[in-house]
Amino acid sequence: MSKADAFTQAGKTAVLQNIQGTLQFLQRFPPFNQMEHAHLAYLVEQCQLRFYGQGESIIKPADGPVEHFYIVKQGRVVGERPHTAKGGTETTFEITTGECFPLAALLGERATRTEHLAGEDTFCLQLNKLAFIKLFALSNTFRDFALRGVSSLLDQVNQQVQQKAVETLGTQYSLNTRLGELAMRHPVTCSPTTALREAVKLMHEQQVGSIVAVDEHKAPLGIFTLRDLRHVVAEGIGDFNDPIERHMTPSPFYLSPDHSAFDAAIAMTERHIAHVCLVKEQRLCGVVSERDLFSLQRVDLVHLARTIRSAQRVEQLVNLRGEIGQLVERMLAHGASSTQITHIITLLNDHTVCRVIELTLADKGDPGVPFSWLCFGSEGRREQTLHTDQDNGILFEARDAAHAAEIRGKLLPIAQQINNSLAQCGFTLCKGNVMAGNPQLCLSRAEWARRFAAFIREATPENLLGSSIYFDLRVVWGDEQGCAQLRRGILDQVGDNRLFQRMMAENALRNRPPVGRFREFVLTKKNGEKATLDLKIQGLTPFVDGARLLALANGIDANNTLERFRQLVNKDVIDRLDGAAYEEAYHFIQQTRLQQHQLQTRENLPYSNRVDPDSLNHLDRRILRESLRQAQRLQSSLTVRYQL
Amino acid sequence: MNLFSWLRPASPVLADDLQRRLGKLPVIRDLSECSLREQRWVVLDLETTGLNLNKDRVLSIGAVVIEDGAIDFGQQFERTLQCRELKVSPSVLIHGLGPNAIAAGSEPAEALVDLLEFMGNSPVLAFHAPFDQHMLGRAMKEHLGHKLQQVFLDVADIAPLVCPQAHIREAGLDDWINWFRLDVFERHHASADALATAELALILFSRARQQQIHSPLNLQQRLSQWKRRQQTHSF
Repeated sequence: MSKADAFTQAGKTAVLQNIQGTLQFLQRFPPFNQMEHAHLAYLVEQCQLRFYGQGESIIKPADGPVEHFYIVKQGRVVGERPHTAKGGTETTFEITTGECFPLAALLGERATRTEHLAGEDTFCLQLNKLAFIKLFALSNTFRDFALRGVSSLLDQVNQQVQQKAVETLGTQYSLNTRLGELAMRHPVTCSPTTALREAVKLMHEQQVGSIVAVDEHKAPLGIFTLRDLRHVVAEGIGDFNDPIERHMTPSPFYLSPDHSAFDAAIAMTERHIAHVCLVKEQRLCGVVSERDLFSLQRVDLVHLARTIRSAQRVEQLVNLRGEIGQLVERMLAHGASSTQITHIITLLNDHTVCRVIELTLADKGDPGVPFSWLCFGSEGRREQTLHTDQDNGILFEARDAAHAAEIRGKLLPIAQQINNSLAQCGFTLCKGNVMAGNPQLCLSRAEWARRFAAFIREATPENLLGSSIYFDLRVVWGDEQGCAQLRRGILDQVGDNRLFQRMMAENALRNRPPVGRFREFVLTKKNGEKATLDLKIQGLTPFVDGARLLALANGIDANNTLERFRQLVNKDVIDRLDGAAYEEAYHFIQQTRLQQHQLQTRENLPYSNRVDPDSLNHLDRRILRESLRQAQRLQSSLTVRYQL
Repeated sequence: MNLFSWLRPASPVLADDLQRRLGKLPVIRDLSECSLREQRWVVLDLETTGLNLNKDRVLSIGAVVIEDGAIDFGQQFERTLQCRELKVSPSVLIHGLGPNAIAAGSEPAEALVDLLEFMGNSPVLAFHAPFDQHMLGRAMKEHLGHKLQQVFLDVADIAPLVCPQAHIREAGLDDWINWFRLDVFERHHASADALATAELALILFSRARQQQIHSPLNLQQRLSQWKRRQQTHSF
């Protein structure tokens, strides 16, 4: 039957009373309420209605690749997964009337990872895979829903599936695009002995900004760009018969074609380069330029980073802050993920901090003592949003206490000026005075080590709070050796101290995710305002605290919450599926928070982490609830682990 | 020979194509030992002008199919029958079929052949099946001169058989729908009632399997045992 026939057919049957009844039923729920009538009628006509008695299995991993799409007409479907630690099973999700499953498995053409059981007597509409695919192709609404469903937790998802689906289904490309797909044309190459004149001529003919010198196996030896040409001309080297190897940048930086556009943007920003070679099996297979990325996203990330690093005065940096805000806005609009955005904000903030330090040193004169600028908290974890406090300190090397005091005397005025300049740039001064200008945070390595050891030895509430800020430390500017030693010290001491771990675990349970036993949000009402929940404290903090504890207890030297989860999975500390679910949940809450901030900025509202779940759409609300449920699961796993 | 038979119209004269289609209908067999899931079932509901088995007429027919253990939305049957001599009666208020709808309906002989083809040799489920079987049988005879041979099973009997704990006496379809807390769409036309009956049947089949009733034949046997027992009880 042709497509047109199928629809005429569906159009006819749509008059049938029962089809009509089912249509009206589905129209009470997204995405069906937004689908075209003909598409919906087609869906219903292809459906079967199936009954599952309580406890009956609907689909399970052993069934092999999923063959049907299900919509719950009545009843409740629960996901059950074998519990690795405790034995037995645990319920990972619930699906009720009007909701669908299993999207990820269906799109990924694989078996479901979780057994779906009828939690009570349940009727499901069942759509066969062929009809699902057809609808997926025809209905934009349905496709969007299916893909968003995948990125949601409704189905213990892996992001790969979504990315792949987005690629193959030709939806708008993003920073996740493979570099191999961006570098369409063959790279322009020459041999290292080619004369400069010849090389430049080649570049001109091919209209490119770079040429790569390669050996006989096509392995890249060096890169020569228009910027290098400018140098050559400016330095007045007249001889254009020189071999290019004398002027090229040797051993150029490269990535594989499988890296993402995001990876390239980050590499360019970090390394101040405008071209990235693509190398596969040691052979050059492409070059991606800054401009390729621009044309992709118009994200002038690289440009912005470079402007920050070359700013001549603090006032210039202040102006650039506004541009960071616009950049984030654009990236959100282009569908960048929260992880990418927080990563980029952190990167640009790092550049700003570095530049402020360099400018201050130029202004006040070099104190003649090497020091490292530390950051803590969200900045230390590389999870900053636009609205961020200063949490920083200074680390230096000293022979003894007297020497340390002497150095501190020299560094403090500089540190205070840096703090003030950063405040001008939009990094709010820390209310708790966790700043390098505070004498208690401008310490020698021995002093820091003593301080951290005390945190671990005497687990008072203040010390626990301190550890949750300071133990996420990293170096933004200066030598990294001393900080690495401090971090190793922390890992060794926490790993040995079961009591401290237990206290940290208790601490990690302080902020309870606001979901009740019975599927609804538990909200706080403040002075008669609308009931809301705090995305940061009630949503993200449980993940951050849990990840920190488990990382420190298991010798994992990563700061970033998602990176910690990944390494915990690699070390078999947490289950792979749990890790993926936590990551996904964390990701979604952060994304919601960023969107919230953007919305507040646009409406000139004071910025806040509180959200009213009713203001979210049906789907987002549900995903948020499931995300918070994952936070709850992480906390209950800590309870078991530390017998609290 | 019945004394009054000459008063009735002779066997209806059928158009050739209808006659041909009747001839091609599959042979109806007894219920088999296949599993409940393997059996294709037709679930039927009729709207009639009233409850009098001998006088009232079929107004509309709704039917759905249970195949492979599920209600298949791709196979549905829905016809309103033309009926010239219909007087507006109070039952219009129940079935909601006004004279206009009925005048616009299908030619009965054609609709009934359609139904026979739709049913094939599948057994039929209905709530209070003997009523539907009788009414439909009469209509078939009258319009087609055809004998309705399909096996009918009564959902109103299956329900108390597999759910003895329900203790609802003389329960109607609505009672069972409430008992199982079924969310049904708008009711009271033949199709919707057929669908509701089919949903009920799915639940009942699931319960039947738990009671080791696995095949349609098995179900039929258990039903007649149960009915005999009920009768001995009541006398």
